[in-house]
Amino acid sequence: MFRQQRHSLALASRDYFHEWRISICFVLALAAVLGPMLVLFGLKFGVVGAMVDALVEDPLKREIRPVGSGRYDRAWIDSLRQRDDVDFIVPRIRSIASTLSVRSEEAGRILQFEVIPSAQGDPLLDPRLAPPSGLDKVVLSASAARKLQVGAGDHIEGSLLRQYNGRRERVTLNLQVAAIAPAAAFSRDGLFASVALVEALEDFRDGHAVPALGWEGAVTERERQYTGFRLYARSIYDVAGLRDSFVRSGMNVRTQAADIESVQRMDRTLSAIYWAIALIGLGGFSLSLGASLWANVDRKRKELSVLRLVGFRSGEIILFPMAQGLYTAFFGWVLACGIFAAAAWSINALLAPQLDGAQKVCRLLPEHYAMALAITVGASLLAAILAGIRAARVEPSEGLREI
Amino acid sequence: MTPARTPEIIYQLKDVAKTRSSNGYTFGLRVPSLRIHRGEKIALIGESGCGKSTLLDMLAFILQPSDAGSFRFHAGQADAVDIGAAWRKQKRDRLAALRKTHMGYVMQTGGLLPYLNIYDNINLSRQMLGMPADDTVEKLARELGLTRHLRKLPDALSTGERQRVAIGRALAHRPAIIIADEPTASVDPFAAEKIMSLFIGMVEERNITVIVASHAWRHIKQLGLRRLAHHTRRSRDGRMTETVVSG
Repeated sequence: MFRQQRHSLALASRDYFHEWRISICFVLALAAVLGPMLVLFGLKFGVVGAMVDALVEDPLKREIRPVGSGRYDRAWIDSLRQRDDVDFIVPRIRSIASTLSVRSEEAGRILQFEVIPSAQGDPLLDPRLAPPSGLDKVVLSASAARKLQVGAGDHIEGSLLRQYNGRRERVTLNLQVAAIAPAAAFSRDGLFASVALVEALEDFRDGHAVPALGWEGAVTERERQYTGFRLYARSIYDVAGLRDSFVRSGMNVRTQAADIESVQRMDRTLSAIYWAIALIGLGGFSLSLGASLWANVDRKRKELSVLRLVGFRSGEIILFPMAQGLYTAFFGWVLACGIFAAAAWSINALLAPQLDGAQKVCRLLPEHYAMALAITVGASLLAAILAGIRAARVEPSEGLREI
Repeated sequence: MTPARTPEIIYQLKDVAKTRSSNGYTFGLRVPSLRIHRGEKIALIGESGCGKSTLLDMLAFILQPSDAGSFRFHAGQADAVDIGAAWRKQKRDRLAALRKTHMGYVMQTGGLLPYLNIYDNINLSRQMLGMPADDTVEKLARELGLTRHLRKLPDALSTGERQRVAIGRALAHRPAIIIADEPTASVDPFAAEKIMSLFIGMVEERNITVIVASHAWRHIKQLGLRRLAHHTRRSRDGRMTETVVSG
């Protein structure tokens, strides 16, 4: 049923490859416009993408903490944890109570470490390593581990002191290093401990008994109050919303929203500049593609007239430039992708010293390549159809008498 | 009387005209009456510019007449087709289909497709109709002396050889009519005479109606063609030319 159409397509292909020199020119002309546009888009996407990635990957940018100290109960903290826009939340205790003297066998002296309540899923910790757990497994910050000269699995000894009933009391506890936190996440000397351990330390300092560790003291029923919390939004885009909801409930919080906003503003500005250039480029690209396909149809008027003379229908005549336009679009796109790959590789190699290993200044996602192909094919089909309709309208007798 | 329905008559034209103007010059072709019968061999002789090509193009349905009193075409078993009406309704695809099935056309300059080899060029008209591959092309090539060129591209052939390929393409699908517009004009006179007699001989053998335009009557008069009478008039200021053809 589609014999004639297939015949027309076959002839168009034969012609396209027979005239390979001219076909190469068309492909080059297309790639010369499309290639640089891909590089431009790759740069914009890579640069802004890297900044956004840095923001997203840096948990500190997603952190929200209350200003000053307040009183928060466990139920309230738990209710926050249920929110979709909250990635992680852990309560804090009074900072005066959150230090611990630590020593190891390897390092002789006793060091004072900040104790940070933590749990499974803490963005400051490497998710592939064990989190602090129970009353004996802790995670050390990188600098703390260095000073203690210990690694994961080593044992350390913590000790703390209190004034209780007029006496100085000191207790010690054996701890095991579950893991070392990444240096980038926390630069001070710190010890990440489970909430249970932090609560035990606080209880001991306050003169309460901690039966689990065998520490004696007052036994009273009381509801635990936390002085603060450490919260991480799910993404940087959720920070502003969370901040607003805290402010509405009358709470002052500190966030990196200003930083985030400035990157987002830069993204918008760069995008606007890019789209301006891209629109101009797209205009030029469509014109050049359209002009070359149009000129090609004009050049082939005589041959198309011959096809008309031997009985090709108008629709089959239009297929001819369409098929050739598709070839040009496809090969031009392939070449443009090649140009982009070479340019992106050079740019990334050139700037590699300034970047961390995995970062790329110039890059595209597969969907960007697909989009470029779709636009190219669309534009060339449109130009070919318009030119083909014109060719099909010409009276064959006119085309034949040329020469 | 319905002459167009008589199977012997292929073309029946009455008061068909084509007028063209350019740069203040007007050129007109008028056909008060023309009948062409099946199997006839028609010659259209005249200097270039007298309107031969215009008439041929109209007979090949590739040029729209400015005026068609009655223009009927009756090639196959079906009823006669009103060509004038088909043009008025812009049924170009219908006309293309008629050409494809019933007509072969030999152009002055071959009109071969440069990207197809000689075999495929000759076979083009057969392929258009979905005719099965058989030895038709080889047989034609043998008669036309093209056997050793079948796998070459037209570029590699001389002008005379290319014209013979064009003749082969016009014959390959066994059309009812072949129209040839100065098929030998671009070939030297000696070769021209040989090609023309070969062409007419092959057409005759296959009982195909042929309409040939030529500016030289000399070397086709012995081939037994019917010459169409035509008369060209020029206005006194030379701005208007009118040719009247009938037969």
